[in-house]
Amino acid sequence: MTSYAIEVKNLRKEFEIKKRNGFFKRNKKKEVFIAVDDISFQVKKGEIFGFLGPNGAGKTTTIKMISTLLRPTSGTAIINGINCVERPMEVLKILGTVLTGERSIYWKLTGRENLEYFAAMNGITGRKAQVKIDYLLTRFNLDKRADETVEKYSTGMKQRVALAKALIADPEILILDEPTSGLDPQSTLNLRELILEIKEEGRTILLTTHYMEEADQLSDRIAIIDHGKIIAMDTPCNLKKGLNKTNIIVLELKDWNSSTEERIKGIPMVENITSRFDDIAQRWEVKIHMVNGNDSINDLITNIISTNNKIINFRVEEPTLEDVFISLTGKSLRE
Amino acid sequence: MELRNYLIAIKAIIKKDAKIFFRYPANAVFRIVEPILWITPVYFLSKAFQINGENIGFSQYSGTTDYMAFLVIGSIVSSFVSAVMWGMGFSLKNEMDVGVIESNWLTPIPLWVQLIGRSIFSLIMTTVNALTVAFLVWLMFGFNIAGGILMAIVTLLPMLIALYGLGFGIASLVLITNNANNIIDITNFCLSMMSGESFPITVLPRVLIPISLALPITYGYDAIRGILLNTKTLLPIPVEQGILVLFMIIGIFVGYRILKWVEKYCRTKGNIAFH
Ligand SMILES: Nc1ncnc2c1ncn2[C@@H]1O[C@H](COP(=O)(O)OP(=O)(O)OP(=O)(O)O)[C@@H](O)[C@H]1O
Ligand SMILES: [Mg+2]
Repeated sequence: MTSYAIEVKNLRKEFEIKKRNGFFKRNKKKEVFIAVDDISFQVKKGEIFGFLGPNGAGKTTTIKMISTLLRPTSGTAIINGINCVERPMEVLKILGTVLTGERSIYWKLTGRENLEYFAAMNGITGRKAQVKIDYLLTRFNLDKRADETVEKYSTGMKQRVALAKALIADPEILILDEPTSGLDPQSTLNLRELILEIKEEGRTILLTTHYMEEADQLSDRIAIIDHGKIIAMDTPCNLKKGLNKTNIIVLELKDWNSSTEERIKGIPMVENITSRFDDIAQRWEVKIHMVNGNDSINDLITNIISTNNKIINFRVEEPTLEDVFISLTGKSLRE
Repeated sequence: MELRNYLIAIKAIIKKDAKIFFRYPANAVFRIVEPILWITPVYFLSKAFQINGENIGFSQYSGTTDYMAFLVIGSIVSSFVSAVMWGMGFSLKNEMDVGVIESNWLTPIPLWVQLIGRSIFSLIMTTVNALTVAFLVWLMFGFNIAGGILMAIVTLLPMLIALYGLGFGIASLVLITNNANNIIDITNFCLSMMSGESFPITVLPRVLIPISLALPITYGYDAIRGILLNTKTLLPIPVEQGILVLFMIIGIFVGYRILKWVEKYCRTKGNIAFH
C-alpha cells in the first residue's frame, strides 16, 4: 500500500478546438489546446492539498481527470493505488467530489431527498442511510429546512448540500473545486471551518481555489498552477519564505497610467508591478516588488511625485501567496 | 454484491424521477390530453367515409372495419415509440441542462444501469398514459378488441426493449453531437409513416413498401393488431414475433455499443458540463 492518497504523473489534457471558416467550410486542421500540461504531484494521506491558480489555469480539468469525468490525453492519476482510467468505478467508491456550480444537485428535490438519492446511488439505504443523512443535515445546519425543495435554498445552503452529498458514502478522499466561490463572506468562513473539521476526521482533501487567503489558510501544501503547468509546490510558509528578499510596497494613488509604470519599471530593484483600480475608494492600488533592499524607495517616491500624482497611502506588506504568484508570473491572480 | 447495488440504484432513480415528474403537474395533464386531441379529428374523418357504420374500403386493406380500434392501437404503440425516442435521448440532455449529469457520473453506478433506471420510470408513465387514453377513447367512442391482451403485451415487450436499447444509443449520440430536435423529429415522423401507425402499410406506394418491411416496428404494429383485432397480418404472427425478438437482441447490442462510444466521447471532449 502506498502512503499517497493521490499520485499524479505527467498528466496531460489536450482539447481539440474546431474552428469554422464561414458557414460551410470547416477548417481541416484541428487546433489543439493544452489545458493541463504534463503535471505531476502527490497528495499525502490526511493532508489538505491546495491547487491555486487564476481562471483558466487548468484546475478543474485536473480535478475532473482525477475524478474520472475526463480521460487524460496521457499520463496517469492513481487514487490509493487504483488507476483512474482502468478502474473508475473502484476509484469513485473512495472519492467524494464537489464540482463548482450550485446546480450539481436536484433543485426539484428537497435537501433530504437529494441525500437519500445519492446515498442509494452509493448502495446505502434504510436505517443506515437515515442515520447518516440526519447526522449530515444537522451538522451542516440544514436540518430545519431539510424538507423544502433545494430551489428555495441560498447559495451557501446549496453548497452545503453538495458537500453533504459528497460525504454521504464516507469517502477517504474529498475533492473540492472552488468550494467557496460565489458565497458571501460569512458562508465562506463557515465553509472553511467545515473543511478543516473534515480534515480532522482523517480525510484527505484536494481543493482548488483562486483565493490566495483560502489556499493559505486551509492547505498543508500548495501547488501553484498557471497555463496548465505547476510552477511552484510547497507549504504556504515555505513558498512565502522564498520571497524574504523581496519588499512589498503598496501605494494608493490618484492616477496611474502606463507611462508612469514604464518609468517605475526602470528603477533599480523594482521587479514586478501590479495595479488595480478600487471602484469603491476611487483610487489606484499599485503593488511594487523590490528585490534585495529598499534603497530605491526614494527614487520611487520622487518619480511618482514628479508626475503630479497624489500619494494617498503608502504601506509595506508581508508577502502573501499572491506575491508568490506575482513574482513567479509577473501578473496578479485576479487578472 | 454489485448487482444488489445496481438494483438499489435503479429503485432510487425511479423514485427520484417520479417525485420530480409530479412536481410539474402540468406535465402529467398535457401528456394525457395531447393524444386525444390528435385522435379526435381523424376519427370524424373516418366516420365521414363510413357506409352503414362500416368502413368498407378500409376493411379491404386491413381485414377489420373498426378503424377506431385500429387507430387507437396504432397511437398507443406509437406513443411508446416516441416516448423512447424523445424521453430517452432527452434524459441525458435534461441532466445536462439541469446540471446534475456530472453528479450522477460521479456515483459508482455505470451509465447503462442509470439509463435502465431512467427508462423504467418513463416506461411506466407511458403505459399509464396509454391505458388512460385507451380507456377515455373507449368511453367516448367505444371499440371492440378480440382479446389476447396478454399476448399483445408479450409481443410488444421485445420491441420496446429493442427500441429502448437503440433509442438510448442513437438519441444520446444525436444529442451529444448537437442538434437533436430535427433529427429525432424527422426519424420519428418517418418511422410512424413507414411502419403503419395509422393505416395498413399495404396502402403505401409500392416503392415504399420494401422500406416499410425492413423496419422491425412494422411487424410490431402488424402483429399486435393481428392479435387484438384479427386483422390480416403480413406474415404469420409467430414469425413476426420472432422478428421482434431478433430485433431486441440486435437493439440491445447496438445500443450498448453506441452508448459506450458516446460515454468515451464525452469523457474525451469534456462536453457534458458545457450545455
Ligand atoms: N471541454 C473543453 N473543451 C475545450 N476547452 C476546454 C474544455 N474544458 C476546459 N477548457 C479550457 O481549458 C482551460 C482550463 O480550464 P479549467 O476549467 O481547467 O480552468 P480552471 O483553472 O478551473 O479555471 P476557473 O478558475 O475558471 O475555473 C480553459 O482555457 C478552458 O477554456
Ligand atoms: Mg475551474
